[in-house]
Amino acid sequence: MSGLLTKTLRDQRRALIGWGIGLAVTALMYAAFYPSVKESAADLNAYLEKLPEALRELLGGDYTSPAGYLRSELFSILGPVLFLVFTVGAGARAIAGEEEDGTLDLLLSTPVRRRHVVLDKFVAMVVTATALAALVWVTVIAVGPPFDLTLPVLDVAAACLMLLLVGTAFGSISLAVGSATGHRALAYGVTGGFAVFSFVVNVLAPAVKALRPLRPLSPFRWYLDPDPLVHGVHAANVVVLVAITIVGLVVALLTFERRDLAA
Amino acid sequence: MAGVIAAEHLTKYYGRSRGVEDLSFEVAAGEVFGFLGPNGAGKTTTIRTMLDLIRPTRGRIQVFGLDPRTRGPQVHARIGYLPGELALYERLTATQYLDAFASFRGGVDPAFVRELAERLGLDLSRKISALSHGNKQKVGLVQALMHRPELLVMDEPTQGLDPLVQQQFYAILDEARERGTTAFLSSHVMPEVERICDRVAIIREGRVVTVSDIGDLKARALRRVEFHFETSVNGASFDALESVVAVEAHGDTVLLTVRGPLDEVIKEAARHTVVNVTTHEPSLEDIFLEVYRNGGEAP
Repeated sequence: MSGLLTKTLRDQRRALIGWGIGLAVTALMYAAFYPSVKESAADLNAYLEKLPEALRELLGGDYTSPAGYLRSELFSILGPVLFLVFTVGAGARAIAGEEEDGTLDLLLSTPVRRRHVVLDKFVAMVVTATALAALVWVTVIAVGPPFDLTLPVLDVAAACLMLLLVGTAFGSISLAVGSATGHRALAYGVTGGFAVFSFVVNVLAPAVKALRPLRPLSPFRWYLDPDPLVHGVHAANVVVLVAITIVGLVVALLTFERRDLAA
Repeated sequence: MAGVIAAEHLTKYYGRSRGVEDLSFEVAAGEVFGFLGPNGAGKTTTIRTMLDLIRPTRGRIQVFGLDPRTRGPQVHARIGYLPGELALYERLTATQYLDAFASFRGGVDPAFVRELAERLGLDLSRKISALSHGNKQKVGLVQALMHRPELLVMDEPTQGLDPLVQQQFYAILDEARERGTTAFLSSHVMPEVERICDRVAIIREGRVVTVSDIGDLKARALRRVEFHFETSVNGASFDALESVVAVEAHGDTVLLTVRGPLDEVIKEAARHTVVNVTTHEPSLEDIFLEVYRNGGEAP
């Protein structure tokens, strides 16, 4: 392991602990709510039936099964939001953050190639994100059963994998914008804006005909459909999200190699 | 053999604003080369092209005969760099910081790191965010020196250091020079360059005005000397001296502009009763004016 990778991982330790606690508590909270939700699931479902289709899609639909509940609550909104805040932040800080802080000058004066700096920082982001996804997985399968929230271990793993992949896809986009421009705020803004846009398009597309052609452009389209909590890993979705991640990484590598560092 | 650093028509523009323009100079192995100029003259631009942090618009710069653009790691392994605007990882302690950089460089001698820190008076256990500007500068210096590089590239190395620490740094630099280290140091103050450099390039508004031996520069440098005598003195006797360029006499005070050694002037002044004498180091502007008067070329 390179010195830079070790250092970057160590830098992310604090983030790992913070986000880890946040995600674990979120998962625990949703598990604890499950018994009361389950009791009124029939009412909830009836209520959902009356909602407009777009809103129903947003809320996720089915509360009668553990998979439907977990999908609606943990994996639809809060999970991805927490995850993306971490990955997009790590992507923006990786190059643009260090450049704006001025610390990149000295880092690049050591015998390390620019592309290795980008790669090491990317790997560190993926490693930490993987640890977070694993933590969500462990939390759900450990704290779920006492609350009757029992799901096949592998299906939960599949959902956590998709959470990881959608997170790293956006992290990689953030890394690309930051590496190309050297502006941290721009990396946050562009990626965050694209994430919100993608999310909204994905949710509204089933109801709004005009948005349907845009839906494949949304990374969220390739995240929970078909539902990994029911069907396990869907290879095509994995391929698309990994491809987005790789494109982001390649753009980061190529653009950062070519430009001047800001003074 | 080509110099350790060779700039050929190096030109850098940031969009339409000028960084440096058609810069050519060479730094030989083992010499301490000063890069003297006011802020904004292009010193940092030149240094950052050496490290491939920025790329030339035209011309080129080679280090150890290699292009930093394509051979970055090989070049960087042999350079110790101190940036002008030093930014460190504030959340680390000095030890953690230096350990990290040692690992980026494939390991350094820890005893030498401790020795450097001790000589500069740096407490390695403290968090960088808690260090004063001068102490951060010391971390930067240790970082640049700790792998005993063949070439030191330092942008205003003594900024923020108190005079005693500056002397300690000069001593460390002298020892490095004895080991054969080449150094490229930028500065905006003449006395520092005089103290430590063998040769100096004077840069102004992005162009090299002159490259000369420090001895030549000193010999040609204009100095202002002010004598305060006990009685009124006629300035004419000073005017006759060869080294005196200009004389202003007001009663018991005589203000002289002198080129080169002060010997003649002191001997002439000693014929009167001297109450006080002050000399002013030539400012950069004085040196520029002098260089321009000589047609922009070293003699």
